[in-house]
Amino acid sequence: PKQVLEMSDKAGSLLSSKGSLKGKDDSAAKAKGRKVQFSKEGPFESVMNGTKSAGKDKVANGGKSSATKDPHQYEQRVDQELPENFKCLMDCEAAVMLQGIQDHMVMLSRDPAIKIPASFDKGLHYAKSSSKHSNPEAVRSILEPLKNHGLTESEICVIANVYPETADEVFALLPSLKGKRGINSKPIEDSMSELAKLKQPIFTV
Amino acid sequence: MFFHIVLERNMQLHPRYFGRNLRDNLVSKLMKDVEGTCSGRHGFVVAVTGIENIGKGLIRDGTGFVTFPVKYQCVVFRPFKGEILEAVVTMVNKMGFFAEAGPVQIFVSNHLIPDDMEFQSGDMPNYTTSDGSVKIQKDSEVRLKIIGTRVDATEI
Repeated sequence: PKQVLEMSDKAGSLLSSKGSLKGKDDSAAKAKGRKVQFSKEGPFESVMNGTKSAGKDKVANGGKSSATKDPHQYEQRVDQELPENFKCLMDCEAAVMLQGIQDHMVMLSRDPAIKIPASFDKGLHYAKSSSKHSNPEAVRSILEPLKNHGLTESEICVIANVYPETADEVFALLPSLKGKRGINSKPIEDSMSELAKLKQPIFTV
Repeated sequence: MFFHIVLERNMQLHPRYFGRNLRDNLVSKLMKDVEGTCSGRHGFVVAVTGIENIGKGLIRDGTGFVTFPVKYQCVVFRPFKGEILEAVVTMVNKMGFFAEAGPVQIFVSNHLIPDDMEFQSGDMPNYTTSDGSVKIQKDSEVRLKIIGTRVDATEI
């Protein structure tokens, strides 16, 4: 244990995360956090691993243990830091937009002075590979009504990007919603089942 | 996460670009200047999607340059604390692993990796669970939650 503590101090100066390593000393909190986590994430975790590992590398949920240190620290709503005019894009919407721009770029690239930056290629590749829905408009129309139930634009985008399968998953991934659980379960369940109907088949060749 | 936002920038244009193609020259200069850049506030500007408005140009005293205030729309990629996203692992070492999500680099310290995953060194260093069921190595896909962000000016 002593060695672990020393390493964590060293790593603390390298990382810019605030206080996440201090929580490790508090084994009571850690044990409590762990317990809550596994009971919540147990049911869907095996499902996620099953679907993801088909044809791709295994997926490990690296973000799980962050909740063991100080659960409230990372529960900030995504949009708390956002300036007013930021409009969230789901990955599938961004993929469509960026693909359109790339098609334009073919024309622009006749001008040798214009170089397509690396971040554009990476951004396009990422948006395409992480977008799980082939029809962004349908997804948007399914998730828009959730705004009336108190979800913010950014929370809806996170749900679309992560593509959870049940309402339990949604609450586990977005702890800020837990406060509103009683009110929001039913509409979220309905939206998740609508989304499931849209699901791209993963097993087709 | 991707965002679609409106930004404003003052563009300086040399008189050699004036004439029939003034607007086009202004737009291509904007794209050259802005695409691929990264700021702490907006994140990575991935692409300019359109020009909303170009204001009246102001001639600068003493030089012939003209400054145009340009409002443009662009797609940016900015990671947030608390955001959940998927990334591809690029490097694994005993301090943790590096992953990439679009233009953004992510580092996951080994303290934030589940305790039942051990680092295995070798040809393909990786983190593996005790029963060997889950392995994190180069090119693995992981889903993670962002706990902090930092802008490194030298790495644009």
